[in-house]
Amino acid sequence: MKSNLTSRLTGVLALGAMLALTGCETVPETRTVDAKGPEAVNTAAINSQDWANAADQLVASLLSSSALENAPRTPAVLAVDRVINNTQLMVDTDLLIKKIRVALTQTGKIAITNTMGLGERAVVASEAAELEEMQTGKKQKLLVPDYTLYAKLIQQQDTGKKVTQNTYSFQMSLVQTKTGLTVWEEEKSIAKQTKRAGAVGW
Amino acid sequence: MKNRSSQALRVTGALFAAGLALAFTGCSTNVNTYERAESQAAPNYVADKRVITDNTLAGTFRVTAINQATVSGNLLKVQATVENLKNKLRTLNYKFEWVDVNGMAVDSPNETWKAIQLQGRETQTISTVAVSPKAVDFRLKFRE
Repeated sequence: MKSNLTSRLTGVLALGAMLALTGCETVPETRTVDAKGPEAVNTAAINSQDWANAADQLVASLLSSSALENAPRTPAVLAVDRVINNTQLMVDTDLLIKKIRVALTQTGKIAITNTMGLGERAVVASEAAELEEMQTGKKQKLLVPDYTLYAKLIQQQDTGKKVTQNTYSFQMSLVQTKTGLTVWEEEKSIAKQTKRAGAVGW
Repeated sequence: MKNRSSQALRVTGALFAAGLALAFTGCSTNVNTYERAESQAAPNYVADKRVITDNTLAGTFRVTAINQATVSGNLLKVQATVENLKNKLRTLNYKFEWVDVNGMAVDSPNETWKAIQLQGRETQTISTVAVSPKAVDFRLKFRE
């Protein structure tokens, strides 16, 4: 009677252990997440959600200002100037600039020249314009940009006893080419705190 | 003897309650706000319709007002005033979506989930600008 109970108990324990072990088995799994959502992996660096948020805040600031209301034509021609990356991160600044370009183009108030400026260059478009000049003998009329966009990324690292804070500043300026005056400027910052390994509590 | 032990129990209970109250006060970071008694602003308030599927979230954050304006000539700007109903720091994820005159969603690069932190009982404004002049309506979504 006692031995029967013991063997039954052993069986239940063995089954439980097997089930528990099966539950712990980790199968490599990949899932698609919203790159601009809270599921995006958060790191001490600038993640996909941070780029999207920074771009959105900068665009909202520019559109909320009256800078583009005084444009000499619609759409106003914009050339992307230098984008300086002064962070420790090796990142493609187009992660920020492209989002801003897309948003500004969608407004219908800005047309971005791709044959001038230090940003993205459309090489084939430039060559096509040169070819057109050669074939027709007429000088192509390139539109002089009304504005240029200048941006800078800065990182500041502050280290406490248990926490390291990385503050990323996204600075952007819109310069009116005719006057050389800055007609809009903005700075948005994202601060990220990382607890050191082994540190207890914030 | 019995009377003395019950008194000791009462004192211990009171001390425990006081400790608990102090502990909770230490954690809370409520915000006191001061503003002009008679506001000079004349916001264009939007009458809103609410669909609540998460009662806990609705009990944590309350939208006290939504107002709109037109910026850059023809772009819709929407601002919502959100209040943290709790006495502790809370993080809110929110997203604005845009809809055109035909009821079609306007795909916009700024339709992203954003996170804001609100201190206890704090009120903050969240806002965005539609990058397309086609946007005439909006949806504001919250999640924890």
